[in-house]
Amino acid sequence: MEAILKVKGLKKYYGKGEALVKALDGIDLEIERGRFTAVIGTSGSGKSTLLNMIGGLDIPSEGSVRIGSTELSKLNSEQSAVFRRKQIGFIFQNYNLVPVLSVWENIIFPISLDGRRPDMDFVMQVVNMLGLSQKLDSLPNHLSGGQQQRVAIARALAGKPSIILADEPTGNLDSKTSDDVIHLLKMTGKEFNQTIVMITHNPEIAQMADRIIRIEDGRIVTEQGRQLA
Amino acid sequence: MNKKDKKTFHPILVLNRRTFHKNRGRNLVAALAVSMTTILFTTLFTLAQSMSENLVEMTFRQTGYDAQVSFKSIDPEAVKKLAAHPDVKEVGTSIVLGLAENKELAGRQVEIRWGSDAYARHSFAAPTTGRMPEASNEVALDRITLKRLGIPAELGESVTLEWRKDLTDSEADCIRSDFVLCGIFEGNESSYASMSWVARTYAEEMTGGYYNQEGIILGQYMAQVSLYSDRNIESMMGQILADTGLSDLKYGINLAYSPEMGATALQQTLPMYLGMILVFIAGYLIIYNVFQISVTTDVQFYGKLKTLGMTERQIKKLIYGQSGRLCAIGIPAGLILGWLLGVVLVPAFTGILGGNNKVSLNPVIFIGSAAFATLTVLISCMRPARLAGKVSPVEALRMNDADSRSRKTKKRKNSASLGGMAWANLWRNKKRTVIVICSLTLSLVLLCGFYAKNAAFDMEKYLSYLMIADFELADVTSDDYIGGYNPLGSTLGSSLTEHLESFEGLEAAGHLYTHQFLWQMDEQTTENLRSYYTPEVLSDWGSYDPDGPKELQKAVDSRTVSAVVYGLDGIPLEAATQPQYLLDGSFDKEAFAKGGYVLAVGPAIEAGESYPVLPAPSTGSRIELEGRNYTVMAVVCPLSPVDDGASEKGAPDSMEMHFILPSDTFRTLWPENTLRKLFVDVDDEHLDEMQGWLDNYTKDVDSSLPVESRKTKAEQYETEVRSSAVMGNAVSVIIAMVGVLNFINSMVTAIVSRKREFAMIQSVGMTKRQLCSLLIYEGLYYAAITLAVSFLVSSFLVGIVIRAMTAGGFTTFRFTLLPLAVCTPVLFIFAALIPFLCFKNLERQSIVERLRME
Repeated sequence: MEAILKVKGLKKYYGKGEALVKALDGIDLEIERGRFTAVIGTSGSGKSTLLNMIGGLDIPSEGSVRIGSTELSKLNSEQSAVFRRKQIGFIFQNYNLVPVLSVWENIIFPISLDGRRPDMDFVMQVVNMLGLSQKLDSLPNHLSGGQQQRVAIARALAGKPSIILADEPTGNLDSKTSDDVIHLLKMTGKEFNQTIVMITHNPEIAQMADRIIRIEDGRIVTEQGRQLA
Repeated sequence: MNKKDKKTFHPILVLNRRTFHKNRGRNLVAALAVSMTTILFTTLFTLAQSMSENLVEMTFRQTGYDAQVSFKSIDPEAVKKLAAHPDVKEVGTSIVLGLAENKELAGRQVEIRWGSDAYARHSFAAPTTGRMPEASNEVALDRITLKRLGIPAELGESVTLEWRKDLTDSEADCIRSDFVLCGIFEGNESSYASMSWVARTYAEEMTGGYYNQEGIILGQYMAQVSLYSDRNIESMMGQILADTGLSDLKYGINLAYSPEMGATALQQTLPMYLGMILVFIAGYLIIYNVFQISVTTDVQFYGKLKTLGMTERQIKKLIYGQSGRLCAIGIPAGLILGWLLGVVLVPAFTGILGGNNKVSLNPVIFIGSAAFATLTVLISCMRPARLAGKVSPVEALRMNDADSRSRKTKKRKNSASLGGMAWANLWRNKKRTVIVICSLTLSLVLLCGFYAKNAAFDMEKYLSYLMIADFELADVTSDDYIGGYNPLGSTLGSSLTEHLESFEGLEAAGHLYTHQFLWQMDEQTTENLRSYYTPEVLSDWGSYDPDGPKELQKAVDSRTVSAVVYGLDGIPLEAATQPQYLLDGSFDKEAFAKGGYVLAVGPAIEAGESYPVLPAPSTGSRIELEGRNYTVMAVVCPLSPVDDGASEKGAPDSMEMHFILPSDTFRTLWPENTLRKLFVDVDDEHLDEMQGWLDNYTKDVDSSLPVESRKTKAEQYETEVRSSAVMGNAVSVIIAMVGVLNFINSMVTAIVSRKREFAMIQSVGMTKRQLCSLLIYEGLYYAAITLAVSFLVSSFLVGIVIRAMTAGGFTTFRFTLLPLAVCTPVLFIFAALIPFLCFKNLERQSIVERLRME
């Protein structure tokens, strides 16, 4: 299967001399279209940094990140913002919803920033699947944590991105809700053939992914693939 | 929500609107700052515009008309041709008959004319009550003339005018015509002449249909041409005359339209434009700070938007959108309030210039102020917008209120004291601290500067220069610059002077007589003139009086000047010979009274400065005046209450030289000359009594008597000085409010944005009391630094700049920092109160709640 994401020799160093921190120290990784990958590691292992690099939020010290046919390090900040809203769907631990926008507006926010019209049928399909159709006019702070994360998932899916990046999506949720959210994430990913990269430090959550990558001290230590179910 | 709504979602507009509503408190501060900035801009614009409009209006009134071009003598047929030209808007015509010579009108030129409606309108002489004359026996007059004639300003009153057909022949028959008053208009005080309109039929009857005869005023046919444009009047007029085949006609362009007028107006309004720069700085300081604070507070929000794919340009658009909303609220409010403030202040300012005070409603004021205010806002949010646009989405999650740059941390050995912590906190965001301190300092320093400048005006000095007695009376022709002073006038008759001089409470009196004649200068005096007027002095003189140097040259060449001899006693003599007015020599009162001495009046230069030579006879030399010899005792300064006045009737048009003799000597030499000026001092209890008596006298007996009193003059100037002080103070108070607003805003946001940090230090054991004192310390440091800087800068400003500005003139410089002293406790109270109130507000949430906050 073709790789949608290719990471080669990725390094990110912070500071200098004695204070040098090697957040990422040579990562090579390929992720195929339609797969659900979990990246696990302890705090400070570099997993969040990796996700930021893949999402074009941070600039690597060395190495390359290629999504589809686009080399991220070659984009300037303007281009990378445009790339992000077109090609990447983000899901954050703290949901990152815009508090002054309604649920619906949040979902179509990246699409409208791009000046596009949302594919109404598709978006409504996503909304229904995530059980948000009754909440479209609510403001985010009127929703529970699980509901907010579902809105974030809908937002990530709405733009039909090349890849969805989820950073500890269940970090703020209780275990029951966590299961629901991951289940929904996995299900929608399958349904719409989406590539998902998820960071977590919770091995149980990670078990739900197709593939698990473990990072320690900025390097990939083990890879554990599963056959597509 | 229906599907249609969903399709028209403009994320930036919606975000813009909703975030704006969310941050009400912050936006209120910003909108207030914007409207205050606009208020100041509008007020200054209104003042500047009104002043220059009034200046132009005043020049119109002084020149007597507001059309662009005038013809002193033109053929009626030519007028028709001109009026038909497409570039000509309107032509007014007038036929001059002569000057009214009624005794009551002495000192005022009243021109008897027929005028077309347009001519009257453009000459500020269109009847406001009644109409222009139509029948031969009708006349329209202004209130000045009516007042002098003692005729009530009511239509239908009968008026008799006396005039002569031939002005050059003093023996010509005097014509007495009786008229009925058919129109009344306000007089033009700025002009020396009043119009007295008669009917066309009367004019035709008097002139017999002969116009523009050489050397005769009767029948002079005049025209005023109004054009559509004020620009390039000369070339346009040339074109019009060429088109109509009248190129050899002579015409005059209204002085008010000359380019020099524009320069004068600019000079008058320059302080307003300088004020605008200050306003711009004050406005920038606060608006920039408000935006900078809101961007740093919301930096995580912008980071979030960026991760979701908002580009730098879209974020900037969002910020400019916010500022646009602020402008939409703040500017209209500011425009209205500013203009109203202008309405209050304009009279104070144009009052100084004299003339009427019309408040301009020129759209330029509003467009200009709005543009300037918008510009200030845009420039103010340029940097914050760039900052928000440049936010790195990853860093945004870590950024806090402090400068993003890393700093070296100093290690302190002693334990952390509250004061030390507060001091360190102050400098966590250096830029903001500096801006707040600058903003407050600017206002305090301005306040100090304005105050010191106003305080330096010395009323006593001013009055002693303008007035030397409690009451000054003069002959009606004393200031008649047109007809000349009549030395045989009877205004100050013996019954009037005797009554005043025997008035109860009289302290002192003084008399002034003058006599003018041609004087053959001696060798020494001619030489003095020649060496005093160096080319530099002459070119300086020529720059404001082009005829001056020519007359001097003529005088030196012919060794002839027009001498004016003043006979003085009492108040004017004492005033003129005060030590500070002696330019050369010394004054010996007794010797002078004997009659063998004369005082020469020198140039109007600052006494005390030494000149190697003065343009007057040398001290100690002997001069001959009309056959008698005198020794020059001293050279004195010309003192305006003594020296001012018209030349004698029929005096030659040449340079004047003034001399002072004791009045006794004067009266024996020229006994027929009557009193020109009378000076009277009374004690304080009788001031009102004498004022009342004089008021009655001018009302009942002689309405033309010129009277000036020290008290009315003082009151008049006090109101003017006070109102200009009001202006200065209004500007600095608004700027001070901007500064305090900035201070409050900074303090509040600095505290609110650190809620979590405070919770953190509280959680590790800082007590409420300690935290509260920490915040108060911070506020007090702000105040202390501001005051220290303000004292320093104000001392410099007041001690050097204001001292230099107030040097000379009617001022006595006093070093004062009173406004700062008054502000010191106020500032300290604010500095302690704001943190305290913020802390009270903070306390409502528990530590845990605050710790959990994002």
